Amino acid sequence: MEKVTLTVNGFTQSVLVESHETILDTLRNRLNLTGTKKCCDEGTCGSCTILMDGKPVLGCLTPTLRCVGKEILTIEGISSGESLHLVQKHLVKSLGLQCGFCTPGVVMTAIPFLEENPHASRNEIKESLSGNLCRCTGYKKIIDAVENAAEEMRS
Amino acid sequence: MEYYHSPDSIKDALSMAREFDGNFIYFAGGTDVQIYRKQKLEKNEHIIDLKSIQDLNSISMKDEVLSLGAMTPLDDIIKSKEIQNYFPLLMEAAKSVATPVIRKTATIGGNLLVRNRCTFYNQSQEWRNGVGSCLRDVGDICQVTGGNNDCYSRNVSDTAAALIALNAEITLINSNEMTQKPLKDIYLPCGIKFHDLDNKNILTQIHVPFRPKKWWYKKLRVRKTLDFTSLTIAATVDNDDMARICLNGVSMAPILIEESLDTLTIESLIKQARKNCKTVDNDLMPLKYRREMINVFLEEWWEYEHHK
Repeated sequence: MEKVTLTVNGFTQSVLVESHETILDTLRNRLNLTGTKKCCDEGTCGSCTILMDGKPVLGCLTPTLRCVGKEILTIEGISSGESLHLVQKHLVKSLGLQCGFCTPGVVMTAIPFLEENPHASRNEIKESLSGNLCRCTGYKKIIDAVENAAEEMRS
Repeated sequence: MEYYHSPDSIKDALSMAREFDGNFIYFAGGTDVQIYRKQKLEKNEHIIDLKSIQDLNSISMKDEVLSLGAMTPLDDIIKSKEIQNYFPLLMEAAKSVATPVIRKTATIGGNLLVRNRCTFYNQSQEWRNGVGSCLRDVGDICQVTGGNNDCYSRNVSDTAAALIALNAEITLINSNEMTQKPLKDIYLPCGIKFHDLDNKNILTQIHVPFRPKKWWYKKLRVRKTLDFTSLTIAATVDNDDMARICLNGVSMAPILIEESLDTLTIESLIKQARKNCKTVDNDLMPLKYRREMINVFLEEWWEYEHHK
């Protein structure tokens, strides 16, 4: 085990981790941040997407030791109190979730994408979310939600 | 036990490689190798993560030659204005790899050296135990052909197809010297040892000297995202009408066909491609379909090339 210092959602803390551990397992099992979901565990579904220094990465493929000295942001750090982020708000409003398992990954993929591409077209939004699998919604309502969030972000 | 190391220079990485004496794996982006570790297909104790070596993450143009650091993320390649303007083929190839999020971590060097894939090998340990391990794993026969000598796992690098069509060269560094060689020369027609780089060398740079007059690129896969290729074809034509057509995903190594448009015919092109590709039934798509798609893609390119 190695003692490392991680900055997650603005809080810096020391934690003991295995050398080969992924940040997904560290977040869920050692820091009790279970909002980031473990699904395929092989980079296929996008459920474990988190932000590392503002860039989306897949938690299941990222070694925890690679995250030392970086700012990690998870779904728990996105909303401020009860006030949801615009992407979250529109996912609720457009019924862009059913079971909700893929939703944290969708939110964590959509936010940096919209920040970088505020004028993204519907097709560009679709492509940006192409690594996020959802078994419930059929995607249309997710795309609608992100498109609506983009529109509100621009206004 | 497993140990993670993050050297911040090539010299340190090479020195660690010497110390661990083969019992290590290099991580570039790590997006593919991590899965091999989870599936117990990669069991070396030490991980040498090259991510912190800043010298390896760069895109530059000098004297019309594009140089890419091997640790440049694919997403940076897609967004580079120089690459969009002068090497759109490379941009298209990079854009066809994996998903937008994975491309922010996956690197060009990692994609060039991506391990060959087979439906009977790239599976969980439980799956392999159930079906039977192949000769690339711990078994003694190929589960696809039933043979006991050759492995036909496929090279699935999309950027390799594009860069070979662009006549790219690579720079390798080991503790004694720096060497430069054509990219196409590193690939071997073997499903187990698919390139000739040993782990005493680090791929540091990719150089693209050639801006073709025309280019064409197409990738066949089950979905339009994420999936590894079932067939990738990248083609270029230079000012002297010399065509370079590179096929990947259908054989153990990329297949390059180089011939002048003056002598090349579509029939001879298809014949050469089908003869050189050792395609077997080791992909999600059926063998007959993949073989047929070689013809379809080549005919599409031929039509594009001869369209006035």
